[in-house]
Amino acid sequence: MLNRFSFKNLHVGRGEILKDVLRKTIDVAVQKFGAEYAEVRAQKLFKTMLTLKEERVEATKQGIENGVALRVLVNGAWGFASVGTLNTETLANAASDACKMAKAASSRLKKPIKLAEAKAVEDKVSMKPKKDPSKIPIEDKISTTLSMSEIILGYDSRIKSCTIDYLDLTGRTHFMNNEGTYIEQDNLYVWSRLLATAVETGVFTYSREEIGSTAGYEVFDIETPEIVGKRVAERAVKQLKAKPPKGGANPAILGPNVVGVFVHEAFGHLAEADLTLSGSVLLDKLGKKIASDIVTFYDDGSIEGAFGSFKYDDEGIPTQKTLLVKDGVIVGLMHNRDTAQKFNAKLTGNARAEDFRFEPIIRMRNTFIEPKDYSFEELLEDVKFGYYLKNFRGGQANLDGTFQVGIQEAYEIVNGEMGASIRNASISGNTLETLLKVDAVGKDFELWPGRCGKGQTAFVCDGGSHVRVKEVLVGGSA
Amino acid sequence: MVALKQEEIQGLAEKAVNLAQKRGIDEAEAFVYQGLTTNVIIERGQIARSSRIVDRGLGIRAIVNKAIGFSYTNMLESEAVIEETVLKALRSAKAGKPDKDWHGLPTKRAYPSVTGTYDNKIVELSSEDLVKIASTMLDAAEKSDRRIFPIDGEAGASYLCKAIANSNGVEGFDQGTIIECSLATIAKAEGEVTPVCFEFNIERKYDLKPEWVGKEAARLAASALKAKRTKTKNDSVIFTQFALQQLFYFTLINAVKADYVQREQSVFKGKIGKKVASEVLTICDDGLLDSGIRTWKFDDEGVPQQKTPIIAKGILRNFIYDNYAAKKEGKESTGNASRAGYLSTPTLEATNFHIMPGKKSPEELVSGLREGLLVNYLQGAHSSNPASGEFSVVATPAWKIRDGEVDYATKGAMLAGNIFQVLADISELANNERKIGQLVVPWVLVENVKVVGK
Repeated sequence: MLNRFSFKNLHVGRGEILKDVLRKTIDVAVQKFGAEYAEVRAQKLFKTMLTLKEERVEATKQGIENGVALRVLVNGAWGFASVGTLNTETLANAASDACKMAKAASSRLKKPIKLAEAKAVEDKVSMKPKKDPSKIPIEDKISTTLSMSEIILGYDSRIKSCTIDYLDLTGRTHFMNNEGTYIEQDNLYVWSRLLATAVETGVFTYSREEIGSTAGYEVFDIETPEIVGKRVAERAVKQLKAKPPKGGANPAILGPNVVGVFVHEAFGHLAEADLTLSGSVLLDKLGKKIASDIVTFYDDGSIEGAFGSFKYDDEGIPTQKTLLVKDGVIVGLMHNRDTAQKFNAKLTGNARAEDFRFEPIIRMRNTFIEPKDYSFEELLEDVKFGYYLKNFRGGQANLDGTFQVGIQEAYEIVNGEMGASIRNASISGNTLETLLKVDAVGKDFELWPGRCGKGQTAFVCDGGSHVRVKEVLVGGSA
Repeated sequence: MVALKQEEIQGLAEKAVNLAQKRGIDEAEAFVYQGLTTNVIIERGQIARSSRIVDRGLGIRAIVNKAIGFSYTNMLESEAVIEETVLKALRSAKAGKPDKDWHGLPTKRAYPSVTGTYDNKIVELSSEDLVKIASTMLDAAEKSDRRIFPIDGEAGASYLCKAIANSNGVEGFDQGTIIECSLATIAKAEGEVTPVCFEFNIERKYDLKPEWVGKEAARLAASALKAKRTKTKNDSVIFTQFALQQLFYFTLINAVKADYVQREQSVFKGKIGKKVASEVLTICDDGLLDSGIRTWKFDDEGVPQQKTPIIAKGILRNFIYDNYAAKKEGKESTGNASRAGYLSTPTLEATNFHIMPGKKSPEELVSGLREGLLVNYLQGAHSSNPASGEFSVVATPAWKIRDGEVDYATKGAMLAGNIFQVLADISELANNERKIGQLVVPWVLVENVKVVGK
């Protein structure tokens, strides 16, 4: 067989040859088609995936892929091409395709797209995990996930099913643009999701947890199968005896996990500058007070090992800790080079693409509320009747600020004490109205990993501290 | 990047199976997928981008001692990588654990013919043609109401093909086309911003209505202005296709999947032949529906697609099966295996989940109500309890119906209930069915839904 090469070489080697191919591709766009801007993002990615249903390994999966995303700006419009190859000739054709498409799109352009200036960077970013997932034998990954499943199923006979998904992704991204930036950056993600269902006399309950890290396989030394498995199982069983909430507006304490999804969904998306420009309610609120004084939000891509962290974004911009809301006033948005130019704002490094099949778009990283000074007991004290919303199931928001967060674990609060367990609650309301009703922020801090969909998937974290809200609409199935 | 031809795609699948058999794998299956997609994208009121994505690759399932290994790659030019991919599948299988319920890959069965799934005109569309479609849609929206703002949208054309081969002699190739356009709008007036309103059209043949999409997206947003709060009460609710898709995707569709039933995650367990819904409800999973978005000759493990009755006049008739779930019960697969291209192993999915329409027009459905709610879109449906069917979602946009007419837009109303109770409380279906995701469905009127307002 010709050109037999090992996968190891493919992973780390051939850097210089690839760099040359990428430069040639950019030259085609700039010199032949007069692109104002051109970038290429080449990736080689390795994945291991497992799906377990109960104690059955449904399939053990491994994949290898490579490809290039090419983005050009011609006459003020974007052209994008994605191909699953590193072949020089194919890439030259893709560059010409991208330029022609940009031209076609530009025919109806009213306002040409311009990019904020960025400093050229040359860098090589290597990940140094204590436990590199690509070096852990697949048998070990199977045994870790199998123990999760055993712990869940062994917890209680009313647990009827569990599904465990596991993914690790390693590889390298090579980014080059026509402004002199060239970055080689390792990719490393480890993720797992645990689902359990319990059944008792016609009541079905459901519980979910996710684990996610950019540090390495060592995440399972902290979030061990025992700890996470028990958390999932316990919740599914507890809910069997839980009652639905009475609908209506009530005071509520949101746990860091629920605060996180609120900060992410209800506020964060509105502060993604592309969505802000698309008419989010924040557009005419910049520099104004939108939340009570104790509310400060960050989106931070620099937290070591967190699921939403990276060094450079997919436009080659360094990541940073971005202040979004300071003491209740909105002071910043999350940008890519296009929106930073439109707002005349500093670059924040929020442009992310799932892989070479996708264009970079504005995404969150690790988004949270800054802790203040309340203990959990102090938060509870003043609540006569309300809810403690501990763990979320899903959330969604709209540009007008309407949000909904489904809750998988909640309790009543009666006279400052934790009360009965509540099933299938959800909260909803208007983001801005709700932010002004935040009346106390806790001193604890937790970040929770998750995946966010905006036409493509991004790995993120969100969280912060416990937060008390004077009033939020609590709905639940009757 | 040019498309690989049928012979090349099929050749790859067969080669991979042959390589696997030489390595002493008990059973092997190769799935090759190719997708070419061109899009023109509208951003904040203008056409700003165009993209072309070529994605193709090979996924191999290898079975050794009833343990299943899977491996994929998109590096199809390299013989060495294809061989390595086969080896990885083999190694994965050996690392895995035997599954006592594994009773072999599908065997060869004749494939049916399907209609309305491929149109050469779509394959030949250029980005200039798509710019025209997007412009028509955008112009139609902007002309119809000055208070509306198109925030994003697109016009896209795709050519998709797939080939399958396995060690039981199954082999097949099918190709199809998809064309679509969509527009999301909001309306702004006197400091009020509406929720995002969305309209789209998706077809397998080149028969698209961009002007209608533009007008409708604008009309929806404009009519969502001047929203008012509603009271908490039990109300008659008309769900449009969008709302139904969101409501059913995580609940009803899962409940009829055989694997959910086998794993005690479905409230329909043991209910075949029993009444599970209102008698006005009849549903088929129709993998052969003319021009259906998910119509193919065979599913993603090479089993012929078919039409399966699910609910007939409220009585539960069948569950849907893939090869694994079927053989576990000694049955035949209903052709419901589905994959995310070459990147995944098959999972059990509905094809075209066809909810049979009624006789009344949507206008007649509205005019028959003294009081009610017309719900276009639900927020948070993915946070419902998929096992029990309990949901608690925001209806936005939604409109209050009074004395047989759509009166005003509502703000922040939540709907709460159980999807399986909803099925029992369906009183009428309109005659306006359309394709949306996995569903083909008309507007549906449901009685006695709990609306939580303020």
